[in-house]
Amino acid sequence: MGALKPLARYFRLFGSLASYTLKRELAFRGNLLVKISVEVLWLAILVAFFRTVFARTSTIAGWDEPRYFFFVGCFFAMNGLIEMLFLDNCNEFAELVRTGDLDGLLLKPIDEQFLITCRRIDWGTAPNILMGTLVMAIALVQMHWQFDLERVLSFLITFVCGTAIAYSFMLLLTSISVWMVRNQSLMEMWWLFSSVARYPREIFTGPWAKPLGAFFTYFLPILIVVNVPANAMVRALDRGSVALTLVATVVLLWLSRRFFQRALRSYRSASS
Amino acid sequence: MTPPEAPVAHPNPTDGAAAHPDFPHRRDFAPPERARGGFLKRYLAIFRASLKERMTYRGDFLLGTVLRFLPMITTILLWQAIYVGSKQNTLATFTYNEMIAYLLLTNISRMFSSMPGLAGGIAREIREGTMKRYMIQPIDMIGYLLLYRVAHKITYIIMSFLPYLLLFFLCRSFFDGFPDWTTLGAFAVSLLLSFLIGFFFEASVGMVGFWFLEVTSLLYIVMTLNFFISGHMLPLDLLPWPWAGFLKALPFQYMAYFPAAVFLGKVKGAELIWYLVGELFWAVFFMALARSLYRMGLRRYSAFGG
Repeated sequence: MGALKPLARYFRLFGSLASYTLKRELAFRGNLLVKISVEVLWLAILVAFFRTVFARTSTIAGWDEPRYFFFVGCFFAMNGLIEMLFLDNCNEFAELVRTGDLDGLLLKPIDEQFLITCRRIDWGTAPNILMGTLVMAIALVQMHWQFDLERVLSFLITFVCGTAIAYSFMLLLTSISVWMVRNQSLMEMWWLFSSVARYPREIFTGPWAKPLGAFFTYFLPILIVVNVPANAMVRALDRGSVALTLVATVVLLWLSRRFFQRALRSYRSASS
Repeated sequence: MTPPEAPVAHPNPTDGAAAHPDFPHRRDFAPPERARGGFLKRYLAIFRASLKERMTYRGDFLLGTVLRFLPMITTILLWQAIYVGSKQNTLATFTYNEMIAYLLLTNISRMFSSMPGLAGGIAREIREGTMKRYMIQPIDMIGYLLLYRVAHKITYIIMSFLPYLLLFFLCRSFFDGFPDWTTLGAFAVSLLLSFLIGFFFEASVGMVGFWFLEVTSLLYIVMTLNFFISGHMLPLDLLPWPWAGFLKALPFQYMAYFPAAVFLGKVKGAELIWYLVGELFWAVFFMALARSLYRMGLRRYSAFGG
């Protein structure tokens, strides 16, 4: 019970922060609507792109159209979740370091990692989770998917793990800002990572691509983030990959936290 | 975009003397044409200062340039999988090699036509009132921004030359040799015009800030749409009828699709000349549009803040 008390406090705090940011967003409803429109437009572009491609081919690396769209929906939903919870916060970290405004946050009696990476919710990207889910649902209907509890549970667990892995990578990249004050390119590195996670692992074939795929699966396991949940749900359920995802999640969460704390120890206030 | 470190009128001439060698001449606010050699010197100073500013974060910039190549690898692999899946050698007149070459070349097109921060910067200057500095100094705002952008583009091209050379060397098998001199010349012209279209189009979007204080949202929509309709994601020829023809009639194709198609010899002879004339038309059109919006906007401008 003792350990649950601080956890409950953090949940309450997260709820308050979420409610505060929602009220702030709703103060500028027009802006929120346009932000959502951009996300809808981006999904429409992705769908148009893959519809155009599938008009000329029946499969991409062994993924037929409905299964591929399930993958796209899974990526879109997970990316939406990551952007909603962490991207803005992590992106702002470099500026906090540069201006010295990080001091104020470090003085608060809350876990620094929680406060820095979770204090703002980007509600404009929240509908992406729904839109991604909708794309996944349509894909499941199109392929006449049969309900399977093991697949659903594996999907849900690996989806959460994938989000945690992506968060860990983002935290690692964010932490580097303490040493490289302007980290514009480091945030671009995040987009590079998400671009690797955007495609099925099976496209990494060939003499140079196969080792690259293995590198992004076992060494920097960003490739498993979307691939494992999508595969578990609509293709072969590989328990080994699910186990790998669980292990990678624990290791990366631990590693990224240690690295973040190391970075904070190197922080020297920039302001007066 | 005019970042905080961009050269602006300095309150203390001695402080800014190195960066603004022509500063003392500005005391009498003489029009640019009247100062002897002042016009050229003034804009050369802007160019030099912008060049220095861009070089300040060269490590960060170089890292970004190198990293930008990595999504290209996934793009190459994706299209390889698409061609294997289709069991065809050609999709909409593009062989696999041509497709990869096209996608590589669109990066060159975008290198010229993309203007990150330009429209947002103009809108911010309007909103925050800092635009009045162009009204009290003998500098034309659009001319200043153009030179600033040219300097940034030149630095970007110089610094990314080696990484791009390496990339194109590694991907040389996707290219069927070098095109003839006429095609290369047309390619160069199309790139220069794509720079002008990109610049004046974004400047026009930024000028909308005179009427709507916040244009960021509009900009997001325009840029997101532009990414697809300019042919950056795939050749427009792949789109079904009537979309391919419709999108080729719009100016956006010149920002990615057209220069790449010219290099690959997909547009030739009279058609090439016709499209180049079209590109010139759109460049002049957006130039006139940006200038008109600026002039009309200044009549409404209240210079609040700043």
